Amino acid sequence: MARSVLERYGGFPFLSRVVMAFYDKVLDSDVLAPYFEDVDMRRLIDHQTKFVAFLMGGPASYTNEHLAQVHARMGIDRPAFEVMIATMRETLEDFEMDDGDVASVIHELRVRAPWIIAAPGQPAAAAG
Amino acid sequence: MDLDRFNRLLLESAGVGLALADPESLAIAFANPRFTEWFPSCEDTGSRLDELLVGLDVERMRSRIADDRPYRVELELKANRRTMTVAVDVKRHQGDGSDLLVVECQNITKLKELEYMVESYSKMVERQNRDLRKEKERVEKLLLNIMPRTIYEEWKEFGVTAPQRFDRAAVLMLDFVSSTDMDIAADPPALVAELNDIFTSFDRIVEQFGGERLKTIGDAYMAVCGVPEPGADDPRNIARIALRIVRYLHRRNATQANQWICRIGINAGPVVGSIIGVQKYVYDIFGPGVGLAARLEALAAPMEITLAEDLYDLIRDDVTVHERGEVELKGFGTKRIYTLEGMSDLAISSHDDW
Repeated sequence: MARSVLERYGGFPFLSRVVMAFYDKVLDSDVLAPYFEDVDMRRLIDHQTKFVAFLMGGPASYTNEHLAQVHARMGIDRPAFEVMIATMRETLEDFEMDDGDVASVIHELRVRAPWIIAAPGQPAAAAG
Repeated sequence: MDLDRFNRLLLESAGVGLALADPESLAIAFANPRFTEWFPSCEDTGSRLDELLVGLDVERMRSRIADDRPYRVELELKANRRTMTVAVDVKRHQGDGSDLLVVECQNITKLKELEYMVESYSKMVERQNRDLRKEKERVEKLLLNIMPRTIYEEWKEFGVTAPQRFDRAAVLMLDFVSSTDMDIAADPPALVAELNDIFTSFDRIVEQFGGERLKTIGDAYMAVCGVPEPGADDPRNIARIALRIVRYLHRRNATQANQWICRIGINAGPVVGSIIGVQKYVYDIFGPGVGLAARLEALAAPMEITLAEDLYDLIRDDVTVHERGEVELKGFGTKRIYTLEGMSDLAISSHDDW
């Protein structure tokens, strides 16, 4: 069986550094941070750990319905989603991830857009 | 630079939040810049420790301090859109004519974030392990349906199993006389359900006497005692199983519309047991022990159990039989054959007993 991205980069030690860095960047971003203002830190970290592990082929599974449910009330719009993609890409690059692997993780993220963005194609009002 | 000035600089630039409070009134007497940054309202006149640090258990703090022990608590606060976790240590300092509470606050946000992440990840891994374990159990259960446990253990450990010879395996072959005559077209699912029910009952009887069901082919059923672990009682056990199967069918037929009439051949003889197949595994036995059992089954009258001298000689003291004389059996020469009628604990000679 082919090894997942997460396995090839060393599993949890790698994941934890990526998630921490990503979490910091998200909360430092003027566009993204407002979405998480009222989210409990424990829940946010739990979700990000599972979701990033999932994107890298780790031991988590998200159905599209579950993703939609998690993001339903957040009202994420397309521009915010694009900032999130750019932030993730930057984080992975910071950890010297191979271009092909970055592309694969970003692809995994991008195909889930319909279940993360509140109203695809329509600029929704940013929360917060 | 004098020591006072150095100490003041240290206090102001430290990453640790420091404050002094009155042990009785809890009024803040002093706060360094870091403490003020985290708890801005401490600059208000008369602000008290218990008002600033929401979540502080004043009773517990006072009792700890009375015991001359530090009080420690973790508090969450919002700073610049982020949730910060601060570890607060409160100690009492007495001396030099002063009596104060020293409040020391450390930013442990990163530690907390990491803690939550480890928690989240370990739950994920535990869940995955649980799923894998379940899957493994499911596969194991399936494999145990097609091979005995000891063979499975060997196969699991070494990836292969060596064919084994058993000199005196006790084999039972059963076939139904009438099931092919039943009206299969009328209700196939019902027929299959009945057969399933019957074979399940056979399995229980076989298990009860330490035997192993090897396979079913259509409505034929094959079981063995002494494979893969031979025991002294195998020949007697195969006779016990055969008798109980016949009794079970008699009882069942008495109350059901479909009559299931079997023929049974039992034998004890040499067989080879092995896993057959590369992609599709099945544990099977073959050899003269099996061949003779099949011949004997064909010779059995409906609802009767046939055995030959090979097995009879091993269990003659424990069974009652009806001798049927010598018969020429293809591939086995001339054999004296018998119909099994009963054993000390179960007789089927009189049908009134059913």
